[in-house]
Amino acid sequence: MATGTKTLRYIFILLLILILIIIVAASIGAAKVSLKDTSLIIASFIPGVNNFINVEDLNPLDIVIISQIRLPRIFLSIFVGIALAGAGVIFQGLFRNPMADPFVIGVSAGAAFGATIGLVFITGVGLLGISTTTIFALLGALATTFLVYSISSARGKVSVTTLLLSGIALSAMLSAMTSFIMIFRVHNMAKIIFWIMGGLTAASWYKFNIIAPMIVVLMIISGFYMRDLNIISLGDKRAAQLGVQTERVKKILLIMASLIAALAVSVSGIIGFVGLLTPHILRLIVGPDHKILYPTSAVAGGIVLLMSDTLARTILMPREIPVGIITSIVGVPFFLYLLVKSKKQVF
Amino acid sequence: MSRKRKILSVKNLDFSYNSRKVLDNISFNVEKEDFISILGPNGSGKSTLVNLISKVLIGYKGKIEIGGRDIKELNPKDIAKMVAVVPQYTNPGFSFTVAEMVMMGRHPYISRFGTEEKEDFDVVRGAMEKTKILPFANRKFTELSGGEKQRVVVAQALAQDSSILLLDEPTSHLDINFQIEFMNLFLSLNKKENKTIIGIFHDVNLAIQNSKKIMLLKEGRIFNFGSGEDIINRESIRSVFGSDVFIGRNPVTKKLYVSPVFNPGVDRGISSQTANKYLRVHIIGGGGAASPVMNLLHSSGYMVSCGVINTLDTDLDTAQMLGIPYVTEAPFSPISFVSQNKNIEFIKSSDVIILPAVEFGPGNFSNLVSVKEAISSGEKVIVIDEKNIRGRDHTGGKAEKLYRRIIEDGAIVVKSINEVLKHL
Repeated sequence: MATGTKTLRYIFILLLILILIIIVAASIGAAKVSLKDTSLIIASFIPGVNNFINVEDLNPLDIVIISQIRLPRIFLSIFVGIALAGAGVIFQGLFRNPMADPFVIGVSAGAAFGATIGLVFITGVGLLGISTTTIFALLGALATTFLVYSISSARGKVSVTTLLLSGIALSAMLSAMTSFIMIFRVHNMAKIIFWIMGGLTAASWYKFNIIAPMIVVLMIISGFYMRDLNIISLGDKRAAQLGVQTERVKKILLIMASLIAALAVSVSGIIGFVGLLTPHILRLIVGPDHKILYPTSAVAGGIVLLMSDTLARTILMPREIPVGIITSIVGVPFFLYLLVKSKKQVF
Repeated sequence: MSRKRKILSVKNLDFSYNSRKVLDNISFNVEKEDFISILGPNGSGKSTLVNLISKVLIGYKGKIEIGGRDIKELNPKDIAKMVAVVPQYTNPGFSFTVAEMVMMGRHPYISRFGTEEKEDFDVVRGAMEKTKILPFANRKFTELSGGEKQRVVVAQALAQDSSILLLDEPTSHLDINFQIEFMNLFLSLNKKENKTIIGIFHDVNLAIQNSKKIMLLKEGRIFNFGSGEDIINRESIRSVFGSDVFIGRNPVTKKLYVSPVFNPGVDRGISSQTANKYLRVHIIGGGGAASPVMNLLHSSGYMVSCGVINTLDTDLDTAQMLGIPYVTEAPFSPISFVSQNKNIEFIKSSDVIILPAVEFGPGNFSNLVSVKEAISSGEKVIVIDEKNIRGRDHTGGKAEKLYRRIIEDGAIVVKSINEVLKHL
């Protein structure tokens, strides 16, 4: 069977699920809005469809709550989920390692350290309306990635083992430095810990408009290398024998996936397990072919994070739980269940 | 003519790894539809050569041309269309299906923004038919047996639709039935599909039986390159591999056959160190009784001779294969005076005479007489008394009597072949 039609079928099903969850997620919250009204409000923003929809007799406050508060957060969480799962697929493929996640080469520790500096030392001013925390988190993530990558590609070839080891080593050092700052700035500690635990409370259309297009572009570029990624999983040498420009492809994919992960982390903090587990779950369903696995995992990552974030903001209303806690507490047992139930060997 | 058919040309190829020279001034040409085996011990540079030709390794000096084009100017996809490698092991990181694995061989033909076309599916199907893996196209590669996996990898290489197949020890981890099955597959690809085959084979015989040409590599240099008949002999194998072998002929195919010389019970390394290389040992042959001791002493490094043996005797084959001097007599004939005198000459010039447990009849009785003369003139004689002489005596007691006289006169008696070394 052609992989194209198979992929489209899976994507279609996943998108349907996503749309349903978007409507449900948008309707629940402190202010109750019915599913029907929510659907109408969302539809009124879709060009072409909005001509047939009349929202004038709905509560204007509901329209504002959904369009300006809930939808930006929903879409940001979807795109962060897409980014994390997409980057997870790429890293797992490159490292041929089931333990690899988007943060495997130090993106999260770098972002946390950057965010801490932003939170503690630089107050107030942001750039283009984006908070200093976000900007510093992005800078920290990128700087760490760059450093880890430079260390591992010292002799022209990227060594996967060095990449993993230097990533772990640098992460440990940066985490220690973050803790060090926290000790001396105890009054900032709660803020820092909350950021590290991950959350999408500060979502806005503005943030979304900056982050989402970048994620989409990077994800699409990476998508053209999935055939290569399949073959690279046979080993660098075998891949080269089959005509893959191994080193070049590895470099491109490493840089793309690190950028994608850094963008996600900078707006959401460290949300664990989405990038690790979603690819595994999808591999059990669609198989290991990255041409199918990558797009389906990405959409599924969006679904997983949206569901988790919706839970995070609603189960203890009006209190919010950091979404990272939800993804781990709910995601891990689900994954373990699949692992035990499935007789398929994926790795 | 031959220039036109040239498909691969390697000129003055030098390659060093961490300042250690791995390949040293390698030059050779391969013609279309050749079947070449590269033989050499571990570390002789075989795999490096394969990796350079497939451009998996770069940074060499010299020139490699495939189909008249310098591979430096070709990208990996171009090379993968011309040269397909069959590696020893393939270990995918994920559990792809057989069909997915074979389709990976089409990678050089599919553009980055394109997808698999009908032609790709046709080629993949053809490759799976040739390797008989179509029935399990949808099974997981990781769940297959070693032999089945290797068939998938060959199919993957065939999907590359290349004119050259480079085999990098493709069967060395498989059982003999698979080795034969794969060799037959490679031979038929060579004959029917006109594939040029260049292979590293672990098994020297597998290589000589089937290749048109053999390349012997030693320490990064071509030791010899030519037909097996011309270049495979005891000396070339000893030089390249450092091991002692018999070279015989396969009785069915009449092709050369290499068989290692094993010396039972003796640690070769130690015995060859302690052996007195200049000690001359003459062994009395007959009925194959001398072969084990000939082999043992020869491989331990002594200068060995043998006599008198009949032309159809196993001991003669052994002496010929080991290349040691011998005295013969026509088959089933009693030993003539001429032969006996030659034998005595050998005995006199030797330091030690060994009498293995030979069967004695009227025909070879004179061998025993020669030994008696030797011990009488004060030569050192070792008797290997493995079997009772009474059972070996077919002369009505004459041989037994003489045999006992030899022992009485001071011959060293040992009970087994291995004890011989202690007395040398």
